[in-house]
Amino acid sequence: MLAKSSFSDFVGALDDYGDIYAPVKISEKAHSFKEVESLTDIDLSYTRTMIPPKKFFIHPEEVIFEFNIDEEVYTEPLGGGERIVLLGVHSCDINALNLLAKVFTEELPDKYYLERKDRSFIVGVSCVPDEYCFCESTGTSHAQEGFELFLHDIGDSYFVRVGSLKGHEFIETHPSLFEAAEQSHYDSFRDAERKMYASFTNKLDMSGLQDLLDMAYESEVWTEYGDKCLGCGSCNLVCPRCRCYDVEDYINLDLNTGERVRKWYSCMLREHGLVAGGHNFRPTARERIRNRFNCKGSLREDMPNCVGCGRCTVFCPAEIDYVEVMKKVRGDIK
Amino acid sequence: MNVNPLEPMKARITEIETMTEIEKLITIKFHDKEYAENFRYMPGQFLKLGVMGVGEAPISICTAQNDEHELELCIRNAGRVTNAIHKLKVGETVWGRGPYGNGFPMEVYEGNDLLLIAGGLGIAPIRGVLQYALHNRERYGEIAVLYGVRCYDLMLFKDDILDYFRNGDRHGVKFYLSYEDKEDQVCYGLECERDDRCMHGMVTDLFKKIDHPSKKTYAIIGGPPIMYKFTIMQLEKLNFRPERVYMTLERRMRCGVGQCGHCIVGTGKSIKYVCKDGPVFTLWDAINTKGMI
Repeated sequence: MLAKSSFSDFVGALDDYGDIYAPVKISEKAHSFKEVESLTDIDLSYTRTMIPPKKFFIHPEEVIFEFNIDEEVYTEPLGGGERIVLLGVHSCDINALNLLAKVFTEELPDKYYLERKDRSFIVGVSCVPDEYCFCESTGTSHAQEGFELFLHDIGDSYFVRVGSLKGHEFIETHPSLFEAAEQSHYDSFRDAERKMYASFTNKLDMSGLQDLLDMAYESEVWTEYGDKCLGCGSCNLVCPRCRCYDVEDYINLDLNTGERVRKWYSCMLREHGLVAGGHNFRPTARERIRNRFNCKGSLREDMPNCVGCGRCTVFCPAEIDYVEVMKKVRGDIK
Repeated sequence: MNVNPLEPMKARITEIETMTEIEKLITIKFHDKEYAENFRYMPGQFLKLGVMGVGEAPISICTAQNDEHELELCIRNAGRVTNAIHKLKVGETVWGRGPYGNGFPMEVYEGNDLLLIAGGLGIAPIRGVLQYALHNRERYGEIAVLYGVRCYDLMLFKDDILDYFRNGDRHGVKFYLSYEDKEDQVCYGLECERDDRCMHGMVTDLFKKIDHPSKKTYAIIGGPPIMYKFTIMQLEKLNFRPERVYMTLERRMRCGVGQCGHCIVGTGKSIKYVCKDGPVFTLWDAINTKGMI
């Protein structure tokens, strides 16, 4: 248990684990994970940030190699990475990071991702769903792993779950911050969870969605939303599980040195499926939007590629509603 | 050795053969001896080949594994990277990493007949299959190759192809050739030479020429996207089972290791990354994964 009155001490203690990033209100409508300058910046009652915390693990744009043509050498710009604390991450985003970790660390471990994962300390926080959240449907409303500590708001205090050895050690080394949980706290935790689950209004039936997507391959749904889609790629940028990247070489004006850069990319852009010679495997918005929804709905990584955070719907300039599209695919609505 | 899978490894161009106006056969050898020796691959696998300061492109390896640890790559000047590669000379440096993807499972084919079908640049990966099978001739039954070209000028591996075409029976391969340009005098000449092995038309027209494939035949296809549908229609007419048809696919690829997402194909039911799960797939994969062909 962590008393809310001890929260500032808690944040102070986290400082030893790196620079603290937390949800900060940056405009009327948006929050962002930003470096915390003062405690009052932190707004744990936020619904969602525009850009998900994936930005800390796969940077929007990052140098993966520096090269020198004369010396014929590629060097990795590794080391010197900052240790970071991510404070106030929601379950959906933690589950999204778990999928990214699977993709980037399991089969062919990505050095850049691994390095950052090692240097991070993640503190989750419970939340109240708004009308766009549907993480209960995607099975990501609860994070089982992928964090150090998880704070569940139960009134005057936080019910703290420990998710890793690092989190355990934090509690061990800061005994004065925490109290042992009693039966009444467990009860409050369960009540709070029940209340949270009861407040979902946006729901999507996920059962059999994979086959239903397959059956809808030639559906009019893709033409309907393909026509609406502006092809801006916002949905990809704000999606915590989207991870497509592009690689480009930038050469300096000396025409000798330069950088190989990896940057976020979007399957909604025309070039995503374009190959040399001019053939495009997804030439129109119809194919591209179909591909995106099929990718999201697949169980390719043994879990849906969508965590129900609602970002793509909230931030789509064409007001394409993810749940609405999937409901049409299912045939739940016309 | 590179410990970061994305790190390009230095290689030297040891030979360049201009094959057509837009295609060169480039032989490379990795600088790092250990890397070169450990670069074990099967026909159909590819590598990411790059030029420093320009970028990387996926290129299929068109030779079977050899003791010199040299890789032959048939490169069409089609984009930014391949254009830069075309400008290089023997002795100059390129950068490679791989091998990536799944190649053709040559061991699965052992004891069976092979029907190789290639169109245009698709001959590059298929050539590796043919080389491998001919190096290990006793392991395979009948081998037939159907190769479709637009015209003689665009024919790749001309020396090899003409040798297989004229002396194939000695190598243990029946080599069939089709050409699309009716006016092509050289191809017409070849047709006059062996009208049982060469004809004007599409590669799929060659099915009229071949003996009825045995039940224990594997069909292996490499070609431009448009070719697959029509070739598969022919194979289905011949009652090929979906697990006996193999093909190699092309997609945009950035990483080669299943991360960058460009080569994604399929639906919610079956999503595949062509780089990691392919580029070699069976017809059964294609039936299950919409959009593959």
